[in-house]
Amino acid sequence: MPKIEVNERLFFSLIGRRCGRAELEEMLTGAKAELDEWLDEAGGAAGDESRTIKIELNDTNRPDLWSTAGLARQLRVREDHKNGLKRRPDYPFFSREGEMKAGTRRVIVEESVKDARPFLAGFVVSGKEISDALLRDMIQTQEKLCWNFGRKRRTVSMGLYRTTIIKWPVRYRAVKPDSVRFVPLQWERPMNLSEILAEHPKGKEYAFINEKLPLHPLLVDSGDAVLSYPPIINSADLGAVKVGDSELFIELTGTDLVSVTLAASIIACDFADAGYTVEPVTVEYPYDTAFGSKVTFPYYFQTPVSVEAAKASRLLGKSLNVQAVSEALERMGCETEIHGQYVTVFPPEYRNDFLHPVDAIEDVMMGKDLSFFEPERPHDFTIGRLSPVETFSRRAKGILVGLGYQEMIYNYLGSGKDYIERMGIDGAEVIRISNPMSENFEYVRNSILPSLLGSEAVSSRAAYPHRIFEVGKVAFLDETQNYGTSTRQRLGFLVSHASADYNEAASHVSTLLFYLSREYSIAEGEDPRFIPGRQAVVSCNGRNLGVFGELHPRVLEAWGISTPCSAGEIDLETLLES
Amino acid sequence: MDVRSLVKTLHPLEVKVLLRYQPGEKLDAARLQAELAYKEGHCNQAFSWLFAKGLAAEAGREARLVYELTPLGREMAEKGTPEERILRFLGEKGPARLPEIGEALGLEQKDVGSAFGMLSKEGALSLDAEKRAVLSPTWFEASHAGGKKPRIALIRELLQRAAATDEALDEASLQGEEKAAMGGIAKKRGAGDSAFRAAERELVSYSLTPGAAEVASELKALGVTGEELGAVTGEILEKGLWKASPFRPYNINIPASRLLPGRRNAYVEFLEGVKDKLVGLGFEEFDGSLVETEFWNSDALFMPQFHSARDIHDVYHLAAPTKAKKIEEPYLSAVAATHQNGGPTGSRGWNYGFDREFTKRLILRSQGTVLSARQLPTAKVPGKYFGIARCFRYDRVDATHLSDFYQTEGIVLGEDVNLRTLLGFLEMFAVEVAGAKEVKYVPGYFPFTEPSVEVHIKHPVLGWFELGGSGIFRPEVTEPLGIKVPVLAWGIGIDRMALMALGLNDLRELFSPDLEGVRMRRARETNAGAREATPSSKTN
Repeated sequence: MPKIEVNERLFFSLIGRRCGRAELEEMLTGAKAELDEWLDEAGGAAGDESRTIKIELNDTNRPDLWSTAGLARQLRVREDHKNGLKRRPDYPFFSREGEMKAGTRRVIVEESVKDARPFLAGFVVSGKEISDALLRDMIQTQEKLCWNFGRKRRTVSMGLYRTTIIKWPVRYRAVKPDSVRFVPLQWERPMNLSEILAEHPKGKEYAFINEKLPLHPLLVDSGDAVLSYPPIINSADLGAVKVGDSELFIELTGTDLVSVTLAASIIACDFADAGYTVEPVTVEYPYDTAFGSKVTFPYYFQTPVSVEAAKASRLLGKSLNVQAVSEALERMGCETEIHGQYVTVFPPEYRNDFLHPVDAIEDVMMGKDLSFFEPERPHDFTIGRLSPVETFSRRAKGILVGLGYQEMIYNYLGSGKDYIERMGIDGAEVIRISNPMSENFEYVRNSILPSLLGSEAVSSRAAYPHRIFEVGKVAFLDETQNYGTSTRQRLGFLVSHASADYNEAASHVSTLLFYLSREYSIAEGEDPRFIPGRQAVVSCNGRNLGVFGELHPRVLEAWGISTPCSAGEIDLETLLES
Repeated sequence: MDVRSLVKTLHPLEVKVLLRYQPGEKLDAARLQAELAYKEGHCNQAFSWLFAKGLAAEAGREARLVYELTPLGREMAEKGTPEERILRFLGEKGPARLPEIGEALGLEQKDVGSAFGMLSKEGALSLDAEKRAVLSPTWFEASHAGGKKPRIALIRELLQRAAATDEALDEASLQGEEKAAMGGIAKKRGAGDSAFRAAERELVSYSLTPGAAEVASELKALGVTGEELGAVTGEILEKGLWKASPFRPYNINIPASRLLPGRRNAYVEFLEGVKDKLVGLGFEEFDGSLVETEFWNSDALFMPQFHSARDIHDVYHLAAPTKAKKIEEPYLSAVAATHQNGGPTGSRGWNYGFDREFTKRLILRSQGTVLSARQLPTAKVPGKYFGIARCFRYDRVDATHLSDFYQTEGIVLGEDVNLRTLLGFLEMFAVEVAGAKEVKYVPGYFPFTEPSVEVHIKHPVLGWFELGGSGIFRPEVTEPLGIKVPVLAWGIGIDRMALMALGLNDLRELFSPDLEGVRMRRARETNAGAREATPSSKTN
């Protein structure tokens, strides 16, 4: 979930007024956001230009909220609406299907990028100097949008340029990586594209996106000066934006036209809210796109959603008429039209999260405030019950406790050393994780015994005798299953004291199975974890239940245990079914 | 402590000493053994207790040599010494060669040799022409003549005396010939192959202090004799001895001794308590495989295969096998269509090519919601289900993150369930399961529910914290799995509640292997649901 840091002064000026911590926390719930850190009490003077507020955004489908302007807009619109001011922001610079604006400038896309990074959207902002706070915010927005929403720049990346020194139109093409040289940002000398991927820090970080392409995307102006090498790095010349610049070209490239377009819309709205003039730019494709071959950005592409008042009422549990539904949606920044019992919702330019009418219904909930919906006790009668295995396990646990055992509970992930090596088994049935966090958590346990031995290994100072057990899950490879593995509920027990032996384990197994009303038989076993001749395989009605006996000194030595141990493991699911 | 209270703490072993002797008299173990018929251990106990109470003082120390029976000595006392056994053997079987004797008696040759040496020196045995040991026909009489005792008889007496009293023999108590005999069968060091171990002991003598007299007169005044009944035995009951003699009062202030009882694990009991609460609210338990597929773990929950929302569920992949053999139909096709274009759900879908191979990838279950999704195809309407599921996360293990941990999840299916009944359930969980007095609800975000709500509760010390997340499953989740009614889905974070209940502050402690720590762990009583009161609700 993205976290953003907003400039306090900029944020409150965009909201329209300052507010305190409690009120801000309350307002943020309307954007599914949480106050993460705000040193309003401990910080410097209220007028300190650099003070920031850290905020966590929970909704991963609302990238428009991941910027100071976007979050402030959501809060402002909701608040204003509550106070009777319907100030849905107006963004007249958007083109729509059939209403294409005339772009002030052009970008010409060449056929060569079609297989590399086919889509580009862009616009120009002007009319105001870029402040330090705004520049920082733009860089943050770029990072959040391109990292979280743009999948680490794969589907969307962004560039900012000083418009005045660009020779228009700009050309978007794909070139051989060693055919062009330019000086990238944060570098002193010209490099070709391969060198950038190999040597430049940003090149190395994002090389995975371009390195397999035969032709690499490149943005140049009409004088063949490089703007940027998408999605890696800008040119140190045209692509170096500084505080005080007042006319910027902003472009987004990517592999998914909808994502690229939405990201462009979000940034354009942010600049408009900050008081800039947005000048549309026309992008001319040599191939057809979902929005046509000649598209002027920012471009409104969203499709309306229709919500039936009765459906919203049913899902929210409160009778709402079309007017109420429409009001609530408008408070969330949507434009609506009422058609009979239906409300048609036009998503704001900066949002594309209405996949289904239920998404609009949630906006109705948020537009009404949750407190509008009183909790209600459910009416349906259902019978509660534990699973049969749980009930059976509890019976087994009761018997073990009566036999003097302390119940334990363990983690299910562990090391190959503990689960395989120390147990003296070949490990053929042990599930291994291909991407472990560390070798300490690389395997899933196939038996409870190593967990119990792990306890013994750290508990030699606890008063003896030790009698411990766990009822829990194990999993192991099993070719007969669809998942190639089986998960089973098992009971593992271990006894440790100076005279712990086979007979004690045998008596305990016998007692357990007697009180669980199961007849069982035993046979000699060949489990390497136990001493030969002092171990037994237990079965019930011909089904193997498990094994018990005296643990082999080889195993005890591997665990650093010097007190005799007997132990056993019973499959409770098999026992239950037997 | 005043005399009256002190008297109550006296053991009969002390009482008898106090009543019998005057302050200043020199007392030692031997005297108590002789005059009070105490065993040696009793003497030491009586002295040390009286000393600790200031009723006896040390009067002197003197070094003494004592002889303790070794395990070998005890065996010899029971079965006979090698010499005795050889004599008995030859008496019963007639002359025999030394190796035959060793073999028949299970003795080592060197032991047979040295025994033969001693006995032939004393004239009890000799070798005949065939090198057989032969018993002397006259030795026995000669050795016992005039009330004499041969060496082996003296040894026999020493062994039996020591075995019968179970106490060390004091050198001072041995007669001249006994001392010589003992010299042959005792060693100071390496006494394992000897009958006795010779040890230096310090004999401490005591005398009662002047204060003891006052205690003795109090004992007399109370009629305490030290002969009062101790533990109630079968004999006391059968013979009615209790009718004639009073019981000795015990010191009831002695701390009770520690036991190692069989016991449930406090965390498991907590989890079972949560299960019982949920059963009480009408929920049926479900469970499933630890190994899952991308399909059920995420795809069935309408989390797009490309979306960053999947980053929050970083999962562990299996090394082998890497894929399930198949994904159940018709669910696979229905879910794939829903991802691609919404299928028949009324959604526009995620608009991408659903990867039918990727969806088969095997992983370790990363969220309990998998179980909810798996339950849907066979769920009853109305129906309520829950599970406490072990889940696995790609997290560095520390006080607040574990590699595997429990999530508590559930669903409610019904024609009429809605946002308000969802809030009603959250309120019940907050009150019944978490014991909350104050509850608030805030809008939340989960990829598989719409609308989504978080429930926060107020803890008296920790303040507000998130108890759980919930929502109504998206139609894109329920419809491909064949469910046409709304489904409430919820998850509550019980780990934090468990830490509070168990007085812990590190999640790793919940799964601690440390036996002593687990034995000592106790859960606090929770008052969840104790009061049938509606908490003050607050919504944002």
